[in-house]
Amino acid sequence: MQTSNNYNRSRYRLGIWFTAPAVIVLLIVLAYPIIASLVLSFLKVRFGGDGLTFAWHGVTNYTDLFTNQLFREALFRSVYFTVVEVAAVIFLALSVALMLNHPLGRSAFYRVVLLVPWALSPVANAVLWKWIYNANYGILNQSLIGLGLIKENIIWLGTPWLALNMILIADVWKAVPFIALLMLAGLQNIPSYLYKAARLDGANAWQQFVHVTLPGLKTTLVISVVLQSIWALKVFDLIYVLTKGSPADSTVLLNYLSWRETFSNLDVGYGAAIANVLFILMFMLALVYIRALRPRQTAQRDG
Amino acid sequence: MNTNRNVRLSRRDFLKLAGVGTAGLALSNYLAACAPAGSNTLNVLVPAAPDPAPPGVGQFSLDAFEQWKKDNGFEVAYEAPPWPQLHDKMAANFAAGQYVHDIIYMSGWVPEFADYLIDFTNDLPADLIADLPASSFSTLTWGGKRLGVIFTLSLLTMFYNTEMLEGIGVKEAPKTWDDLKGVAKELTGGGKYGWVLNYGAPEGIGGVASYWMCFLQQAGGKLYGDDGMPAFNNAAGVDSLQFMVDLMEFTDPGSLSYVGINDATNVFSAGQAAMMMNWPFMWKPANDPASSKVVGKVGSAILPAGPAGSASIDGTDAYTITKLSPNPEGARKLIEFYLDAEVQKRQVIDTGWLPIRLSVLNDPEVQAAAPNAATVLEQAQHPYDSYVTPDYNAVTTAIGVEIQKALAGTQSAQDAITTASDLVTEIVKKRG
Repeated sequence: MQTSNNYNRSRYRLGIWFTAPAVIVLLIVLAYPIIASLVLSFLKVRFGGDGLTFAWHGVTNYTDLFTNQLFREALFRSVYFTVVEVAAVIFLALSVALMLNHPLGRSAFYRVVLLVPWALSPVANAVLWKWIYNANYGILNQSLIGLGLIKENIIWLGTPWLALNMILIADVWKAVPFIALLMLAGLQNIPSYLYKAARLDGANAWQQFVHVTLPGLKTTLVISVVLQSIWALKVFDLIYVLTKGSPADSTVLLNYLSWRETFSNLDVGYGAAIANVLFILMFMLALVYIRALRPRQTAQRDG
Repeated sequence: MNTNRNVRLSRRDFLKLAGVGTAGLALSNYLAACAPAGSNTLNVLVPAAPDPAPPGVGQFSLDAFEQWKKDNGFEVAYEAPPWPQLHDKMAANFAAGQYVHDIIYMSGWVPEFADYLIDFTNDLPADLIADLPASSFSTLTWGGKRLGVIFTLSLLTMFYNTEMLEGIGVKEAPKTWDDLKGVAKELTGGGKYGWVLNYGAPEGIGGVASYWMCFLQQAGGKLYGDDGMPAFNNAAGVDSLQFMVDLMEFTDPGSLSYVGINDATNVFSAGQAAMMMNWPFMWKPANDPASSKVVGKVGSAILPAGPAGSASIDGTDAYTITKLSPNPEGARKLIEFYLDAEVQKRQVIDTGWLPIRLSVLNDPEVQAAAPNAATVLEQAQHPYDSYVTPDYNAVTTAIGVEIQKALAGTQSAQDAITTASDLVTEIVKKRG
């Protein structure tokens, strides 16, 4: 018994040694920036000729933040963007996954084609959409005019809510493939005998979807919602390339506002405070994500 | 048969492995750190072409550049990101407080980063200084120090489609605001527009706020008073914005969504818009058959006069030397090479970016290659203040957003100017 305890203890110690490098790397690349960002948000940071100069600023950056109308608007727009994007992505991704799971859609070709938007680099994706939305030469206007749906060019990125929603569409296009593949994997994990049993009980296609498919996809759906919420909250590339926050700040979302205050206006402490608000939102979503994964791990251990 | 083998790893073995790994990492880092920062290497941060770039990034004077490096014993390591990334890069580098570059291209950011730059202009040859417009140092002077040297005369001037104007019987460019509005009105229709510009980005030089500064000065106004506080909430400020609003009726509506000058330039070069204001480089691409449908139909003129006459803004494209440069002497010599008369001549002939040296600007060969050079020189006879300050980005963002609302018709010019003035007042007070 004593030998077994010693053996386990030495295995445990060796495990710590092996995991130590990874933990140290994580502390450097994750924990340090998070803590530094938190500290910066309580400081007044100035560009002083020899790097930066720091002065204690208390909670002023945060009080400034919550009394600033642009921040409140950016927060609202970020929430709107996230909610609508998540709903759209989940709906489209589930539809695509169901089609790919159908015997006619199981060719690898469809999966490769599906991956193209996801595989594009974010900036290349943004430039692509910039040309699609171009007011004079964009394929979107040309197509709609060709189909007789509109008579004049529409300035897709020229009016506030329209510009925000066009960015949203571009982001949805890029996000759907990954979530669709995630859902496809979830669909393929649902045992086929459940569908057979449902059919024997006389369930039609819709009833099978509601009572077999959706419950079987529950964990996948939660994970998809959480991951997509995090990705939607941190959208930046599309705004930077397509609108630079315009027109009239109507496409300024939290991440873009944080960048603008930090790197353009050089108000590092204030920019860090915005980033921290975003971090807290994402952290809460990450907790939901971890919780969503937990039952499955427990089930595996029990099994 | 059991094919599993137990590998015993003692604590000592583990530490040995970790030691070897750490030593390997340290060695590779040391080698990587040593390579680019040798004492005979000058590190230079400039924009990628087609923005104004030096020999080696821009395709001109390449043989002379190789010869200069050989004669002076220097290697030159360029970092040339796209123009919009420059400010972020230099801000991050300066914030780190460590040497990264010897020479940095600046465009309106000298006051913002003044503490990180050195005054080297007194060490430039006297004949070179005498050949530069004295006014070119105004946007580079902060705290009594001249912290850089302009290398291209880059003022906004008017470009127009001669064929479209002649089509309505107009032989020369509009000279006044009323002329501009009248011509733009006549040329708007059938999918074509009288005017185009990129109003999509609010901030910085080339943002909508900086364009309004041209009209502001044409109206006789100025951004700041002698006390350093905003001085544009008056008739000149409102009239200048009202003129932009009035012109919107004859402006490509896409202008509100164009975030870069190239977006607007493409519309002009496709023959879809008759007039625009642009930087001098425009002449070359607009007359290049590979990229333009208006070759040979491009006219150049000074900007139309408002109540107080013509006025423009300065692009302030300059080279500066950083305080942490281990080799400021070598950096200065390289800048002298960039400003060499022959290099300046090739700069305009091969890239379209005008020289700054007056002798080169007046060179007949240069004027033949860039007929707009004379226009820019004439524009320089009128005011062209860009009003750069340490918080230029914040100021222009605040003004630009309000201007965009007025151009989109969601608020009046008066309201936009009043709000912008209040916001800039707050920013200036914060500057302290």
